[in-house]
Amino acid sequence: MGVQIMAEQPAPTASHRWGMAIDLDRCTGCEACVVACHAENNLPVWNPTEAARGRTVHWIRVDRYYEGEFPDIKVKYMPVLCQQCDEAPCEPVCPVYATYRNPEGLNVQVYNRCVGTRYCGNNCPYSVRFFNFFPPQWDAPLELQHNPDVAVRMVGVMEKCTFCIQRIQRAKLDAAADGRPLADGEIKPACVQSCPAEAMVFGDLNDPESKVSRLAASGRATRLLEDLGTKPKVFYLQRAK
Amino acid sequence: MYLMSEFSDQFTLAGAIQALKLRGADAADLDVFSTEPVDLPAGLLDRPSRMSLLTVCGGAGIGLLSVFFVYWTQHNYEIVTGGMPYFSPWATGVIHFELTMLGAVAGCFLTFLWESGILRRDKRAPVPKLASGVLYLRVRCEPSQMLATGECLYQAGASKVEKLEERA
Amino acid sequence: MATTLRTLPHDQIQEDTWRTLRNTSPQYVTAVLLTGSVTAWGLICWAYQISKGLGVVGKTRPTMWALYILNFVFWIGISHAGTLISAILRLTHAAWRKPVTRAAEAITVFCLMIGGLFPIIHLGRPWLFYWLIPYPNSRLIWPNFRSPLLWDLTAILTYLTGSMLFLYLPMIPDLGQLGLHTGGARGLLYRTLSLGWTGSDREWHALERAMKLMAGMILAVAVSVHTVVAWDFAMALAPMWHSTIFGPYFVVGAIFSGIAALLLIMAVIRKTMGLEAYIQPRHFENLAKLLFLMSLLWAYFTVAENLTVWYGNQPHEMAVFGARVRGRYAPFFWSMVICNFIVPCVLLGIRRLRSIKTAVISAVCVLAGMWLERFLIVIPTLSFPPLPSAWGTGYNATWVEISIAISTFAAMALLYLIFAKLFPIIAIWEYKYVPDE
Repeated sequence: MGVQIMAEQPAPTASHRWGMAIDLDRCTGCEACVVACHAENNLPVWNPTEAARGRTVHWIRVDRYYEGEFPDIKVKYMPVLCQQCDEAPCEPVCPVYATYRNPEGLNVQVYNRCVGTRYCGNNCPYSVRFFNFFPPQWDAPLELQHNPDVAVRMVGVMEKCTFCIQRIQRAKLDAAADGRPLADGEIKPACVQSCPAEAMVFGDLNDPESKVSRLAASGRATRLLEDLGTKPKVFYLQRAK
Repeated sequence: MYLMSEFSDQFTLAGAIQALKLRGADAADLDVFSTEPVDLPAGLLDRPSRMSLLTVCGGAGIGLLSVFFVYWTQHNYEIVTGGMPYFSPWATGVIHFELTMLGAVAGCFLTFLWESGILRRDKRAPVPKLASGVLYLRVRCEPSQMLATGECLYQAGASKVEKLEERA
Repeated sequence: MATTLRTLPHDQIQEDTWRTLRNTSPQYVTAVLLTGSVTAWGLICWAYQISKGLGVVGKTRPTMWALYILNFVFWIGISHAGTLISAILRLTHAAWRKPVTRAAEAITVFCLMIGGLFPIIHLGRPWLFYWLIPYPNSRLIWPNFRSPLLWDLTAILTYLTGSMLFLYLPMIPDLGQLGLHTGGARGLLYRTLSLGWTGSDREWHALERAMKLMAGMILAVAVSVHTVVAWDFAMALAPMWHSTIFGPYFVVGAIFSGIAALLLIMAVIRKTMGLEAYIQPRHFENLAKLLFLMSLLWAYFTVAENLTVWYGNQPHEMAVFGARVRGRYAPFFWSMVICNFIVPCVLLGIRRLRSIKTAVISAVCVLAGMWLERFLIVIPTLSFPPLPSAWGTGYNATWVEISIAISTFAAMALLYLIFAKLFPIIAIWEYKYVPDE
């Protein structure tokens, strides 16, 4: 029982702390991020019946908020994804440690450890966690375009946005192979990459010079449901009222 | 050598036990058999018990064991908790409480098995076939004392006295 | 400190209680076949669910917990019947409890067994449920003791062990007597289970001492178990779940539903087993008064919880509150109030109306009302999470989960039928024994 973790494994780099900034004034609600996430992360595509029962899986979704009355209506689009909270309420309640925060600040979900109690899903105030009620399926020929870097989940496990951890890993490996440090903006999750308005910025919050750090420190930065104390690492930029 | 006597109520039985004890009989040699519990005057046929103590000990023991178990295994397994402390006693306090109670229940039950004599039954001692409404008093005595003890029992009000050998 | 009046000769008590063990009526066989087939249907539905995935039930995002957790809480709640009757009434020397102690303790054990099955049924990958148990493994994985679900596991295992021992201990003398007079395989079962009980005073002393200690401990465990089940909800951040009142609220609700279940089962066994001389109107009278009292207590807790939420006017909580009281779930809420409060208070609070029949009607209403209360705890909160985009279309149960839920009632009845056929339902020695007071 008393086995130490192998010393030969490379020490995890605790030097990064990944965060995201989303500019709500730029977001047009086009939902290109949603589609890109589907393509990148092998998200299942459900039929209209299951969609009507609320079974669709969108690791990132665009919430629409209407303000005002006609003809002075304003629409606010808010892409909501896993906030990778520093004090994630989903973590302590998992009975099998299937979700925890890794040293780089990401809240990771271990698919093959999950037994499917769905407590984490209940405890997430942002409702960004999804459960595989059925074995995931794709209409032909979508099952041929899976991303080989991402696992296909099985029935009965929870899943959520990972900040495209496969892209983070790829970039870190490439940078280590080239013998150079990671550049700011080198890692782009699928949603960030596909946004036509460049409303989403991803980067290292530990680097004070990175774009995301500067945006997070700006006066326009807010966080979702901040009073719950979850300390999310996704910053929403909007005009301060 | 055993004498099996029958009584119809607890008062005559109590009188018989009192008489036997006055004659020097030891409470360890006396056994009362019945289909329901018999209330005898306090001090007459008391059986010392450590059940409360052992229950508390069992509870405390298993409770402490659970604390060490949680502490040691959480550290030993090098679990990646992502910042959550390895051992948070408040968060796991419920588990320690429940296992303490489990230990207490186990302690109580095991002590019951021991103190009732179920675990250390003497197979050779004869046991009456219980009939409702009858109280049996079994006296273990030396063959030389048998007649005197039997007399004493009859005088105390036993309805029947029977001499029984040890069972094979 | 009342004592029972011993109005029946001992032989008749034994005869009456043993009669049902020997004779099997056609109604009994029908009941067993019926409940057995419904239970089997439930198992088939569960197998179907495992093979197809949890999608066959009505759970969605955001109501990821629904009927199964609801039933889990419901059954664990009913299990407090035994605790109340056996433990609390034993500690207060209420002699009227004697004919019903074993029936109540049996309810506890079987309800725990069934209730404990539900968390496994509701798992996404139930074949891996054993990962919640800490066992040495070579993969360096370990359960998270911090999680309220692990607290659940420990608490329910402890309570199950404790209540099984609490049921078994006072049965030993009766099993001894049965073993003497029964032959064949059944007699062997009785004699083995009675551990060679001879009826000596050492055994009686040890038994009574053990029962006294167990009563106190079972009480502590029972309170903690339902508090822990409540904390599955209260420890979560969800609106109207994160409330400090949940612990005591659930315990009160559990005792409430436990008394109702006991009333119902008492009425059934009284009728079907011909025990009118033992389970008398005054037992129903006392239980009815207790049910009335618990109804008032339940109403107090419900008002306290809802008033605090309404007055606080927090937007997240008001969304849930509005749905419960005025919106989608209002029919459930007001039915619950009628079943749990109005019916018991009227039928049992007014002395002229209190009778065995009205007590049973109230008990059935309370059971339905408590089921509704569990429904209203689990589903409205999950249907209205803090972010409105996740509110969705609401929860609709499917035939799979409804079948499984109904089959657990049948399973409970089946277990009880088998128990009543194998073991005397009245603790004979306890009933005959009148302590000197």
